[in-house]
Amino acid sequence: MSLERRKRGHLLGLLGAPTLFLLVFFFGPLLIMLVYAFLTPGLYGGVDWVFSHLNFGRILGWANTRYETFDPVYIAIFLRSLRLAGLTVLSSLLICYPAAFWISRMRPGLRAFAIFLVTLPFFVSLIVRLFAWVLILRPTGFLNQALMGAGLTSTPVEFLYTDFAVILGMTYVFIPFMFLPLYGAIEKLDMAQIEASFDLGATRWQTFRKVVLPATMPGIVGGSVITFIPALGNFIVPSVLGGAKVLMIGNLIEQQFLSARNWPFGSALAMLVMAAVLVLLLAQTRLARAKT
Amino acid sequence: MTHKSPLALSAILLLAPLAASAQERLSLYNWGDYINPAVLDAFTEETGIEVTLDSYGSNEEMLAKIQAGATGYDIVFPSVHMHDILFQLGLLAKTDIGKAPGFANIDPQFVRAKTDPDAEYCLPYAWGNVGIVYNKALAGEITGWEDFFALGEAGKKITLLDDLRETIGIGLIMTGAPVNATDPAQVKAAADYVIEHSAGVTAFTYDSVPQVISGDVAAAHWYVGANLYVSENPDTIGYIIPKEGATMYQEDICVLESAPNKQAAQAFLEFYLRPEIAALNVAQQMNGTPNLPAQELIPAEIAANETIYPSQEVIQSLQIFEDLGRDLQLYNAEWTRIKTSR
Repeated sequence: MSLERRKRGHLLGLLGAPTLFLLVFFFGPLLIMLVYAFLTPGLYGGVDWVFSHLNFGRILGWANTRYETFDPVYIAIFLRSLRLAGLTVLSSLLICYPAAFWISRMRPGLRAFAIFLVTLPFFVSLIVRLFAWVLILRPTGFLNQALMGAGLTSTPVEFLYTDFAVILGMTYVFIPFMFLPLYGAIEKLDMAQIEASFDLGATRWQTFRKVVLPATMPGIVGGSVITFIPALGNFIVPSVLGGAKVLMIGNLIEQQFLSARNWPFGSALAMLVMAAVLVLLLAQTRLARAKT
Repeated sequence: MTHKSPLALSAILLLAPLAASAQERLSLYNWGDYINPAVLDAFTEETGIEVTLDSYGSNEEMLAKIQAGATGYDIVFPSVHMHDILFQLGLLAKTDIGKAPGFANIDPQFVRAKTDPDAEYCLPYAWGNVGIVYNKALAGEITGWEDFFALGEAGKKITLLDDLRETIGIGLIMTGAPVNATDPAQVKAAADYVIEHSAGVTAFTYDSVPQVISGDVAAAHWYVGANLYVSENPDTIGYIIPKEGATMYQEDICVLESAPNKQAAQAFLEFYLRPEIAALNVAQQMNGTPNLPAQELIPAEIAANETIYPSQEVIQSLQIFEDLGRDLQLYNAEWTRIKTSR
């Protein structure tokens, strides 16, 4: 009994500080956003404490006033963001999966260096790195000069300010997020299982499908989730590489808080993103539980 | 260097903060690169007041910081409509700068803020227009918005500013409505104009001048500040005030109610009334000053540039943005429509 109590005391001591931290700095702001989403915008930013359901009405269909009108464009922007974030996950997975295999089979010294290289971009400001991509992708940029120099095209190809540029940029930004969980799963892969699979007559494809893929699935799911969530809310990449023309939900939210001075509508949009992420995380835990 | 010098150095380091704390200070909060550092040096040299400078990227960012309780700033440089907002929110300190002897230097047409008709609060600082910067080889000699959008129709690339008021403002000018229109039908028609003419618009961006110089973009919607780059690349690019009309902006120097150093701030406003100081700023910033005697002192090539100092007739054709209050939301919705129109 007393041992039980002491254990509980220990636990409280250990978890108390982080719990308090989360309550104040994570749930606190979240709660503020939730409340704001149901208020009226203040004239110069901020909120007026008057209840309003029209912020959601604008997105979902019932608002029809001078300032708050339903427009399907908001859902369309949300769907586009889902698509772009999904494609970002897919392309970074296709790059990182073989790369993680390759690096995990290197000799230890080289391996540490390769992992260091993957995380190297974190040492330079994101904005600087994205402007470097502008220089590469623009019509008179390196990529087009190389293509034209090689005689592959006579006029510059449109790379900059397209969906392609945004997906490329986000893939570039989120590769370390995808790589590290994948690498963790792939490094632990038991080579004996693969050899056994071959010994028992499985083809390369069957071995991959039945042995390698299931064993590395936690890394794939983890990397995908941790890439998808920030990609969905990203607004810097579409603003710099998409020329603010490839509008994503993050840009729309930023616009509400800054130039448009409509915090409640921005909060409502953010709640929509949050709901989508929550559904995704629930689905993931369900899936993980069903597996075990 | 002798072996004693580290000790001497540490003595200086120890004493320096003491000296500074006895010294007066002034803290400016301004747009990035929007004041000649030489002006601040001259002020410090004359008064002994140490100046610190922080910068912001938009009126809204500045307002949000001040509203959120940022203290310690003495002077801000809001645009005229933000000057009105700051006044209405009770954030400005009275300076009576309009009664200062040097205020006779200021051209009265630049005392623009509706809430401050007698310059009891703020001092008109600088102004400019928003027009078109173009690549001479790609765009030819263009004269206005019609030519600008025709470039896009002809398959060339153009960019617009990532600013809802400025970009919808072009549509309002071209459809014959005022740039402060609050009639939903007028705002919608303006947005439709921009959407219908967006064939060649590759981006909404502020980062367009380098692309106009390199020839990636034929022409861009940009500020009069482009003249700085025109003076460096006179054969490659040019800047025009569109003949159909354009918008103008003006910033004022305001002292905050929460300013910790009101006296130093007052001294700075009076210092800036001097023609030679305003002219010193223009020499580096290449923008318009409302200080009339200063206009006689600025470099001849700036004074003669009709896009920086246009004729009175052109000045009167330029429109300035006013705060729209709630009606800003009309623009907000149309702006989203423009950006998703491809």
